[in-house]
Formats: sequence, structure tokens, C-alpha cells
Amino acid sequence: MYRRFLSWRYLLRRPINLIGVTGITVGVGALIMIISIMSGFLEESRQTVRGSLADVVVQPTILPRSDGTFVPREAEPLLEALDADPRVAAASPHLTWGAMVTQGGWDAAQTEHRIKDPDRSDLVFAQLVGVDVAREFQATDLRRALEHESEFGSRVDDVEHPFARPASYDGEEPWAWIVVGEQLAQIHDLHKGSVVNLVTAMPDSLTGKAYPSNRKYLVAGTFRTGENEIDASRIYMDRWELSDFLSDQRQYTQVLVKLVDYAAVRDTIEADLGRELHDLGLLNSARSGEVRTWESYRRSLLGAIENERALMGVMLGLIILVAAFTVFAILMMMVTEKRRDIGILTALGATRRSILSIFLMIGMWNALLGSTLGAILGVLGAWRIDQIERWLSSTFHVQIFDRTVYLFDHIPAQVSPLIVVSTVIGALFFTALFSSIPAWLASRTHPIDALRAE
Amino acid sequence: MGTPPDPSLALCARDVRKSFQIGGREIEVLHGAHLELKCGERLCLMGASGAGKSTFLHVLGLLEEPTEGEVWLQGKSAWTLSMADRAALRNRHIGFVFQAYYLLPDLSALENVVLPVRIAHSYGSVRFNKSRHEAEAAELLTKFGLGERLRHRPNQLSGGERQRVAVARALILGPEILIADEPTGNLDTGTGERVLDLILDEQRERALSLLLVTHDQRLSRRCDRTLIMEDGQIQADSTVVIPQ
Ligand SMILES: Nc1ncnc2c1ncn2[C@@H]1O[C@H](COP(=O)(O)OP(=O)(O)OP(=O)(O)O)[C@@H](O)[C@H]1O
Ligand SMILES: [Mg+2]
Repeated sequence: MYRRFLSWRYLLRRPINLIGVTGITVGVGALIMIISIMSGFLEESRQTVRGSLADVVVQPTILPRSDGTFVPREAEPLLEALDADPRVAAASPHLTWGAMVTQGGWDAAQTEHRIKDPDRSDLVFAQLVGVDVAREFQATDLRRALEHESEFGSRVDDVEHPFARPASYDGEEPWAWIVVGEQLAQIHDLHKGSVVNLVTAMPDSLTGKAYPSNRKYLVAGTFRTGENEIDASRIYMDRWELSDFLSDQRQYTQVLVKLVDYAAVRDTIEADLGRELHDLGLLNSARSGEVRTWESYRRSLLGAIENERALMGVMLGLIILVAAFTVFAILMMMVTEKRRDIGILTALGATRRSILSIFLMIGMWNALLGSTLGAILGVLGAWRIDQIERWLSSTFHVQIFDRTVYLFDHIPAQVSPLIVVSTVIGALFFTALFSSIPAWLASRTHPIDALRAE
Repeated sequence: MGTPPDPSLALCARDVRKSFQIGGREIEVLHGAHLELKCGERLCLMGASGAGKSTFLHVLGLLEEPTEGEVWLQGKSAWTLSMADRAALRNRHIGFVFQAYYLLPDLSALENVVLPVRIAHSYGSVRFNKSRHEAEAAELLTKFGLGERLRHRPNQLSGGERQRVAVARALILGPEILIADEPTGNLDTGTGERVLDLILDEQRERALSLLLVTHDQRLSRRCDRTLIMEDGQIQADSTVVIPQ
């Protein structure tokens, strides 16, 4: 008790401790604030990075299994297994293939021109996606993409049956109907009722040669997901139509899965579902990455941001380390300065342990005050970072955060209690570690030597 | 370990030897000093400078470990106890007054006096109660003529005032033994006289066992016995009983 009394008194009577407290405040505050902002960026970027990816994609390899069998070429067994799974909310089969978009008649010259232009040639190539509309609506955001009103595109007449012949169509063409991305429509100047020619090639499993095939389609309307890449290159059509176009070689290439609670199973679903589906004979191998979460598709991107955050944490942790070292230096000074006091206290009956704890406590007061203040400032700073930045910008006329560079118009911050608590604990730990050396030295002081020193 | 001494002794030292390492050489300062301090006795210790008086007092006050010999108090051989037990003993049963006052500069006079009580609280031997013990300390300081100086820090006090605070601190826990090493050595004659009167008054009032080191011949006349220390030993024939 007198240890607390004395350590507190020594702290207050030595303004130099302000340096220690300030150091820890700055370290803890900066760490919490920066990590919170980086977490905010990470979370915000995740939304952007994820785009329209499904929770989980199951994409069986069509190579022979180790037991010599093949996975079924039909999607139905896999869909049945997934539908029965309690973790799965919805599953939708995709047949995905690449094709070149060409146009005939007056537009042929346009197509030719685009193919020759190195800057634009990639725009000619499209991703064909065959879907089962009803299932697709359950598992993905396709309905919303179809319903989107836009300035360039034109909505399909009947969202429930996007590949049906539109009631408004009065032409004679017999081709099947497709829905194209809004930007793709704009590039190729496609409208409702436009005819496009899709050219593709399909490898033959027997001869090994690739056979080209092409087919004319009618544009039923456009969709808009908001993701550039998809809106500029994707074409939706009925899965059976696409399968037929591909000479019935494939019926599906992957199944998109929407989970009931993604967050709950994000770390285990790949392995669990992979093993279970493999045991049912629906995957080529249990561990070849045929089941992947959206995060594992975007691993490198997410990983980069997360790495950056970890690196930042380490670097700012160094500030705390330096601050703890400052406390060490201050305490070393105080132990020398208070040598006589140590002698007096011992003469009055203080034990070595008490002397040790007095000096340890001085260090801990520094850490406690500093990290509490730092935590408060850090959390407030993170919550108010947007206002702070605006104020700094308007006061000093420098732009710190360029809102045009990012996809969000505010500085995002996400304060995690875990980060706050672990930062505070870290600061306390390092200060305790560094304080223990001077405190130990203090406790080893011989009382009479200390008293004689004048 | 020797046998426990007569319980009428407040403090008993037998054959105390103490050597210091100086520049690799071992120099023995105390060559087997004996001392018996009876309960309620005023004992004066005199001797030439460098004779080893202070060193002996530190051994008796449990501050300096003797190279050999034993110190008995409270029926215990103090230097065989654990460090913490010895610290508790020192805290509770011995009051020490130094020549150089040794007050904590960051505490007020009152806080300095109360400090031993706070330390005793950490041993559980006293239940510290701030208002009660501060009142007690204030009373003692007022008795010592420092009623107006309670909140002053040591550096705001004169030498005589500091030494009176130090005496109050030594007495606050009501120890049986008071050890004073030249308590007036840093004070002018008049001031020293008053401090000494105060110590002797308290000794009588509390029936303390007082061990006093001094260079002052007149002072020894006010004590029950005077021992002479010469070259690290108590002279056997030096015991002088002076009738009051
Ligand atoms: N810690 C120490 N290290 C080395 N020598 C010491 C130490 N303490 C005391 N001495 C030596 O022991 C001897 C006795 O010292 P001490 O202080 O006990 O003498 P004293 O009788 O109190 O003298 P004074 O009357 O001047 O106070 C001195 O020669 C001193 O130098
Ligand atoms: Mg001396």
C-alpha cells in the first residue's frame, strides 16, 4: 500500500515521467488509430475486391479420379448433394466458356476494325455463362443486375424469363436469346433484337483437335452488375442452349454456392465440403482446390492488404518499444537519484521486494496512464478521422486523403476491441519488462552504502 | 548459534565482527564487540572517530550484516532470520535516528513520520488508518514544537526541525529500542541541546532502551552507562555507571 503511495508520489514529483507517459500515449494511440484505419480500408476493400463472387465455388476437375472413375458430367448429382447440405442456402450451376463476338452485315467492318486494334481487341472476346435462371436468382445477384435501369442498356421485357422471346419483338429471326453486359452492348452497339454471331472452339476429347463452331443469337436485353469487367465481357444464356452450342461436350463447369452463414464456416468449408463431395464421388480429389471460397480466389489481393496491416502493426509497435525504453531510461535515472531514499526505506523496514515493486510500479503508472490516454485518443482519432482529416486539409490547405483515388468517399476505420486490448496489454508488458531491470537494481541496493553515498 | 540472552535485555550483541573489502583487501573494523542493552536503560557509546561505532550500530540496527557474531532482540537471533522477517523486526521494534536526518525529500514532515506505519501495514502488524495515524503523528510533531510545520517538506525545515521530525518518525510505532548515531552531530550546540532533551524526555516517558553514540562528554553524564569503543572493540573496563 505504501508502495502505491510512494510510487505515485515519485511519479508526480518527477516531471520527467511525462516523457514516458507521452511516449506510450503516442505509441499506443498511433497504433490503435492506424490499425483501425487499415482495418477499415481492408473491410471496405473486401467488398470491392469480392465483387459478385459467390461464397463458394465448386469446380470439379474432369480428369479421371484415382479410382479410375470420372465425376458425373451432369450437374444434378452435385446439386442434389449441395441442396441437402444444411450449410448451403442455394446452389446454381454455371457453364462457362469463352467466345468471340462478331457481327455481320454493315457491322462486320466494325468487328474487323476492333480485332485489329491492339487497344480494343480484347473487347471482342466475351465470357459465355449458361445458367438455370431460377437457381441463379436464388444463389446470386443476377435478378438485381437484370432489373437495373440504365442509360445505355435496355432491360429485358420479362425478368423472370430473360431468355424467352420478348413480347415486343416482331422480327422473324429464329435464334436463341441472350442477355449481354451493359458495357458490352455499348461497345458493340447492341440493342434489343440485335443479332450477334458468337464464335468459339471446342476441343474434341477423342481426336484432340479443336473444332470451331459459331452460332447466331438475338439480344434480349442487358444487365448491369456495376463491376466493369463483368459488364464489359459477360453474356448470359440458358445453360442447355450453351451446352448445345458446345456440341454437348460439357453440361456445367462449376456450381456457385451461397451459404447460410459464411462467416461461421469460412475457415473450414473448403476442406469439409471438399472431403464430403469427394466421398460422394462428385469431386476429382479431396484436396485439389475444387472447392474454393471467394476469399481464396482473391487471396493474393486480400493478403497484400492484410500483410500491410501486419507490417504497420509491427512498425508502430516499435514506437511502443521505444517508449517502453524511455521508461527504462527514466527509471534508471530515478534509481540513481533515489539511492538514498532506498537506503532510508530499507532502514525503516522496507523489504527488497517492496523496493522492487515501488520502482516497477512507477514504470507501470507510466504505462497505465500512457496506454489509457493513448487508447482513448486512438479510438477517438479512428472514429473521428474523417473530421480530423477534413479539418487538417481545410486549415493547412493540403490534401491528405485524396477521395478520388479510392472507391469510397470517406476514410474508413474499424475499431476492434481486440486490437485495443492487445495494444494496451503489449504496452504494459513491454514497460513491465523494461522496468524490471532498474527495479531489480534498486532492490539490490545495500542500505548503508546508499545512505553513505552523499 | 548461542543461547538466548536474559529476557531483561532489550538488545544483546555477542562477538560481532565486521570486515569490509577495500581494494581487494579485507579490513576488519569490528573485532568481536559485545553489548548488552537492558530494558529501559540509557546507554551511551563513545569512542574515537573511525573506531567503528557507526558500523556497530548498523549491525545492531539490522542494517549491516556482521561477518561473525550474533544480535539478539525480541528473543530472536536477528541475523539468522529471513531478510523479510528481519525487515519486519527493524520496522516494528527499532527506531533509528541518524546524524544526517535521512528524511524522504518528496514527503511532507507528517508523511515522513507516518511512513513507518504504512510499512508496518504491509506486514499486517498494524492496520493503517490514514486519519487516525496522521492525527497521531501530528500530535507527536506538535509536542516536538512542529505543529506549524506538518505540511512542510524537509528542505523547508531547519536542521533542528528535521532531526525532530526524524525522532518522531523513529518513535511513531512505539519501538522498544531507540538507536541514535550522533543525533546532534550536525546541529549547533543550542539546537542540539533541545533535540537531545526531547530524545531523553521521550526515553523516560516511554521507558525506551536507548543506545546513543556521541562525542559529547556532558551527554554521557546524563546516561545510565557509558561504553567506550576502541579499535572495533568495547573496552571491558569502560563501563561507567553514573548515578543520576
Ligand atoms: N562500507 C564501508 N566500506 C569500507 N570501510 C568502511 C565502511 N564502513 C565503515 N568503514 C570503515 O570502518 C571504520 C569505522 O567506521 P565508522 O563509521 O564505524 O566509525 P565511527 O566510529 O562511526 O566514526 P565517526 O565517529 O567518525 O562517525 C572506518 O575506518 C571506516 O573507513
Ligand atoms: Mg559514526
